[in-house]
Amino acid sequence: MLPDWLKKTEDYAPPSDGGAFLYKTLVSLGRVMSGLKAEAGKEGRFELPAWLKLILMIALIILTSVTQSRLVIMACGAIVLVRLALLPAESMPGILKAAIFAGILAAILYTPAVIMDHGLLGNGIRLVVKVLICVTAVGLFGRTTQWNHVTAALRKFHIPGVVIFTIDITFRYIVLLGKLMEDLLTAVSLRSVGKNNKKYSSVGGVMGVTFLRGTEMNKEMYEAMQCRGFTDDYKGL
Amino acid sequence: MDLIELKDINFEYEKGEPVLTDFSLTIEEGSCVVIRGDNGSGKSTLFRILNGLSFGGSGEYLFKGTKIDAEYLKDNSGAKRFHKAIGYLFQNPDTMLFNSSVYDEIAFGPRQMGLTDEEVDERVIDCLKLFDIESLKDKVPYHLSGGQKKMVAFAAVIALDPEVLVLDEPFAGLDQKKIDWLLGFLKELKAAGKTLIIATHRDDVNEGLADKTIELKIPASE
Repeated sequence: MLPDWLKKTEDYAPPSDGGAFLYKTLVSLGRVMSGLKAEAGKEGRFELPAWLKLILMIALIILTSVTQSRLVIMACGAIVLVRLALLPAESMPGILKAAIFAGILAAILYTPAVIMDHGLLGNGIRLVVKVLICVTAVGLFGRTTQWNHVTAALRKFHIPGVVIFTIDITFRYIVLLGKLMEDLLTAVSLRSVGKNNKKYSSVGGVMGVTFLRGTEMNKEMYEAMQCRGFTDDYKGL
Repeated sequence: MDLIELKDINFEYEKGEPVLTDFSLTIEEGSCVVIRGDNGSGKSTLFRILNGLSFGGSGEYLFKGTKIDAEYLKDNSGAKRFHKAIGYLFQNPDTMLFNSSVYDEIAFGPRQMGLTDEEVDERVIDCLKLFDIESLKDKVPYHLSGGQKKMVAFAAVIALDPEVLVLDEPFAGLDQKKIDWLLGFLKELKAAGKTLIIATHRDDVNEGLADKTIELKIPASE
């Protein structure tokens, strides 16, 4: 038997409510976290092996970082730009955004030094260019390498299994937890039909559930792996 | 009167991989539409569109004659009125429950609607009785069983008294007794004038409940 209020049609006028900033920020954060999966690993047909790409990337970063030669920096930049140009257009903005953000951050951090000593301007520009090259190289590696190939490459370099396991699980869980948080906040917003006087309590609830679920998923996955013969020796793929 | 009109909706997550192609649908007020289809046929996408969570690349969505798009939902008041009118039960209730007690979970919506404390309390108690979950009132939703979570999530949606109920696999995870009860409850809601849109694989929903059944097919990739 339905209660009376459920049988009637309500003429609803929602009370006004401000302060959606917190929700929007968290939704964006969840999207970024769950979007990591989409961003990672689309390998082309004629891609180098992951271990070789990893060596090349590390070598390029070291070379770019230690060199003082403008010519070498320009050569490294040219390599990165050529590789970037070979990617599909839709892959470029994500890599470039991260590189530009890091470049701007480096410029901001270096600005006080330039203000105090104008002679350091050349060094500052060189530093920003180096940051742009290194972050673009990392972005390229992430964009063109499947995650399981990265873990396999790390294994090839005899990095301890527990380190690879931790990196691997962290990466996978960030994606899942981001998706869970995004879904929870979607559910909150769908049921936020008026003025919420307990916004922080709702957000706290979402964070709490995400944390609990993360712990539970971790335990469940470890147990599932044990059932399938996992003996704490992580071999990647 | 057509309450919901979808006109030539096209939707794709990635270029060349369409999920809905030239999809049109009209739903009359007080009717029950059952959506069927294999995994990946676009049921969840359709439900996201109906709830204003996604928008087609082309096509039009009209709710009570008003075009629902990103622009319309930017208006806070319009969005809230729209979300109050459409109650959405997610397939996975885990993604709907975030409060510290079942009571607070159900009261979350009504508390925002400008109702008095007594009215909110009345609604919550009615919902607890309706779904036979009074004993769970002070429990933490997170620690409930799957079937109990589903009941709490549904109660939380019903507490908003929506005109349209969009239910994604509402019978999943329930025992037979609860399924039988839910079928009867949905018939009562329909008789009370609520519009129901249900994604389910169960055939017994058609008996005395469904006015229309839509079969979604997995579209071919380009």
